[in-house]
Amino acid sequence: MSFLYPLFLAGIAAIGIPVILHLIRRQTRKRVTFSSLMFLRTTMPRFKSRSRLENLLLLILRCVIVCLLAFAFARPFLPKPTEQDRVARARRIALLVDTSASMRRAGMWSQAVNEARSVLQGLNPADRVCVMSFDQGTRTLVGFEQWETLDPTRRGSIVAEQISKLSPGWALTDAGNALVTAAEAIQDDEAGDGQQHTWTHEVVLISDLQQGSSLDALRAYEWPEHTELTVKLIPARSMNNATVQIVAQGDDPLGPDGRGLSHVRITNSPAATLERFSLHWADAGYTSPSDQAIEVYAPAGHSSVVRIPSPKVAAAGQRLVLTGDEQDFDNTFYLAPDVAQKVNILFIGDDDPNDPRDMLYYARRAFGTAGGIDPNLVVRTPGAVSQQNVTSAHLIIVTDAVNSQRGAALRRYIESGGTVLLVLRPADGPDAATTIANLAGIEGVESQEADVEKYAMLGQINFEHPLLAIFSEPRFADFTQIHFWKHRRINVPDAAKARVLASFDSGDPALFELNVGSGSLLVLTSGWHPPDSQFALSSKFVPLLYSILDYGGALLGQRSQYFVGEPVPVRSVPVRAYSNERLTASLQTGPAQLQVRRPDGTMVPLDENRRAFTQTDLPGIYRIDSPGGSRLFAVNLSAKECQTAVMPVEDIESLGVSVKQPSIAAAQRPQRTQNAEAEQRLKRHRDFAALESEQKLWRWVFALLLAFSLVEMALAGWLTRAPST
Amino acid sequence: MTAKAAQSGQGAAPGKTGGMIDPVSLMRIKSMELRAKVIVEGFWKGIHRSPYHGFSVEFTEYRQYTLGDDPRYIDWRLYARSDRYYIKKFEDETNLRCHLLIDHSRSMGYGSAGYTKAQYAGTLAATLAYFLFTQGDAVGLATFDDQIRQYMPPRNRPGYLRRLMLGLEADPQGRTTDLGPPLQGIAQMLNKRGLIVLVSDMLTSIDRLDADLGYLCAGGHDVVLFHVLDSAELNFDFDAPALFMDVETGRNMYIDPVDARASYKGMLENHLAKAESTCRSLGIDYHLFPTDRAFDLALLDFLHDRMRRRKLVRHRAAPKLGRMV
Repeated sequence: MSFLYPLFLAGIAAIGIPVILHLIRRQTRKRVTFSSLMFLRTTMPRFKSRSRLENLLLLILRCVIVCLLAFAFARPFLPKPTEQDRVARARRIALLVDTSASMRRAGMWSQAVNEARSVLQGLNPADRVCVMSFDQGTRTLVGFEQWETLDPTRRGSIVAEQISKLSPGWALTDAGNALVTAAEAIQDDEAGDGQQHTWTHEVVLISDLQQGSSLDALRAYEWPEHTELTVKLIPARSMNNATVQIVAQGDDPLGPDGRGLSHVRITNSPAATLERFSLHWADAGYTSPSDQAIEVYAPAGHSSVVRIPSPKVAAAGQRLVLTGDEQDFDNTFYLAPDVAQKVNILFIGDDDPNDPRDMLYYARRAFGTAGGIDPNLVVRTPGAVSQQNVTSAHLIIVTDAVNSQRGAALRRYIESGGTVLLVLRPADGPDAATTIANLAGIEGVESQEADVEKYAMLGQINFEHPLLAIFSEPRFADFTQIHFWKHRRINVPDAAKARVLASFDSGDPALFELNVGSGSLLVLTSGWHPPDSQFALSSKFVPLLYSILDYGGALLGQRSQYFVGEPVPVRSVPVRAYSNERLTASLQTGPAQLQVRRPDGTMVPLDENRRAFTQTDLPGIYRIDSPGGSRLFAVNLSAKECQTAVMPVEDIESLGVSVKQPSIAAAQRPQRTQNAEAEQRLKRHRDFAALESEQKLWRWVFALLLAFSLVEMALAGWLTRAPST
Repeated sequence: MTAKAAQSGQGAAPGKTGGMIDPVSLMRIKSMELRAKVIVEGFWKGIHRSPYHGFSVEFTEYRQYTLGDDPRYIDWRLYARSDRYYIKKFEDETNLRCHLLIDHSRSMGYGSAGYTKAQYAGTLAATLAYFLFTQGDAVGLATFDDQIRQYMPPRNRPGYLRRLMLGLEADPQGRTTDLGPPLQGIAQMLNKRGLIVLVSDMLTSIDRLDADLGYLCAGGHDVVLFHVLDSAELNFDFDAPALFMDVETGRNMYIDPVDARASYKGMLENHLAKAESTCRSLGIDYHLFPTDRAFDLALLDFLHDRMRRRKLVRHRAAPKLGRMV
């Protein structure tokens, strides 16, 4: 028997009232009105044991009534065995151990291992367990099947030993994905077992639950109904944590000695007590860090952006170090040199560069120096194109008809992986078809001038194609402002497998791609100059040209900053793609095979067909060595992983996950977790209230109370009427 | 009846009145006038001869003239015979002026026999009033507690008796009993001597009873005191301990009657004895009336005393002139 409001049981103490009343009112209960008391003297009441015995039954009844009243107000109920009690004999448990970078904080990993060990020690022999570690991805350490194969008496210690061999990495935390994977693993095991509803399903999450954890995967996942999540929160010894990031590298030219100033952002955690830090470059040619250290003040929960001069020595890679913070796992930012890449663009045409009615006029202005690119536009008439011009070009734009001889050279260029943009002019007429045929090496191409009433617009655009993906967002996807006055209608045989990227509202292709060898021929059926269209005057023109440049691989290697776990695009591209002057020192002596040197010095050979390097699991400076040269890129800790404040468990619960009470060391329990416990108590109280409401035992108690009251009244009435002696 | 006789129950027990009407039965009659009529019926009916001298046609005595007497009443014939001045006195033939003083304090509202002392006292007074009124006597009424609450001067007019009855039927509304101020007020209001019948339970301090009643006696009034007490007050025959509440003061007192009875009776006897002795010393007829005593017995006692007092008056007056009226 339990009580919903046990404090009301204190009302039982009120039985003292009838006891006292029975003691004091025996002699004085009768009142007599008399004419005068002038001849009377008061006498002391005498307590007679005989009288107490006479009313003992009445006293007992009254005491019982008081007790029943307190009993009823305490709302009694019979606690039913919980679901967990009934099926405690067997559980399916998926144990998730966080190995993200934030777990590198002092003492946290040992706590996590101990917590995992305690969970494993508390298992029943009939339990089925799956152990997973997770950071950005989820890895199964011990599966359900493997668990079954282990010696039941030593399972826990064996798996705990395996967990202790793990160590936290540098990746960010994707707790949502880990939870979904664990829940699905339980469901898969249940489906394989075929005995549903006889097991308790539980996911045990051992994590620091830092605020930067991603829960996105849970938003699109319906959490299984009978699966509960138990959060074993690993508290940090210190709530101080600051992180450093470079916002902009050397953009500000006002630094000392003409060096650029880098904008650095220092972010401090909300509960931090340390607010003063210092910044310095490591291995930057200074005699001591104090020579170039910059003091930074970052209030708790805020960010400060400071400007720091670029290092004196242009090293292959620099480290920006933040000191004064207790948690140093995120206090180093790696910076790879940002190199301006030289890009050769061959424009084959007979245009006047100063005539705004020609396409060259706009192409020259589109390919100006910008950001990390140094474009070099080479203009040649079709007859003046040399082989050198072709082989050194990263992109070839053809606006005139080319004969079969030049076309063959260009086709070889395309076949070797190059990209050619062919723009058809109206004067071309039948030559357009010939040019396409020469460049693509196909037959049966037909070309004619389309009949356009007033103007044509782009009707269908394939935004999924990499070339046009930059316009896929709705705010950039409006092409209706671009009017085309003229365009050509091209018929390409199906065998050529032309892929239409954009078409006019009449259905004629506006831009299509022909794959030739490993390269591609892009055909624009209308010019961008004003006689043909408004395209050159629109905001879509320059992005499209750069997109074509990027599509051809010319911009590959421009980005030099990545985060841990982020794939770095690499592929075996022609030598021209890496013809950076400053990084071609190893061009002649480069390795015959593509390989990546990791920060720890290990070399990772890459397959020719691989398009990305994915082993970016360490922060630091990486170097890609290829026959075409070398380039550096830096891998840093994700900014999200540096947000180490504790995430409320309610955030997980709000996504539909059934969360049990989180477990945490009481001595280090933060306020938020105490609130969670209070919430848990409230939930348990609600469960009891529901159970009590279902049983409604208080009604029976009140019925009993009523019966006793009637008996008491009858007895009291009878005693009152009885003659007193 | 003396206090001892009353407490010992002589002639006081209900149902033992020997042909008399049981007060319990009598009090069932709601009309006060009818109650009084039933009691008085059968009694001798006549006119009292007033014991007081006025200037009427009936000569009673001679008195030697003293300075200050009215010379109109000098008997000149007797002067001619005896050469002395004598004043002729004549018997006053006017009717009796009777004042009924009824205690209406709250203690009079107590009663254990189904009716209160106030009802008993009212019936007693109504009986006397009816009796006197039918003889042609003037009867007045005054009710009091610690002061006079109601006053009706003596009259003998048709319908006045009914007004008297209504005044007697009123419930006691007063609070405490205090004889001093009311009796003093009455003495000041009465300019003619007469009969004053005081009906009270006397449940007040009687240390000043001598002085209080002295106001009336000093005025030459003939005073009769009917001391009305309930039988429960006389015997204190309660059995169970209880919280006793004084109706006048509201004071509560825990009393065990077994323990308190002896003391109570002792104090009551002293009280009654003191009251009786005081009355005797003042020449006041004292009658203790337990409320269970028959009214006609009370009337008999009253008339008996009146006759006795008249004889005494006549006896004192006769030797002087050798004439009896």
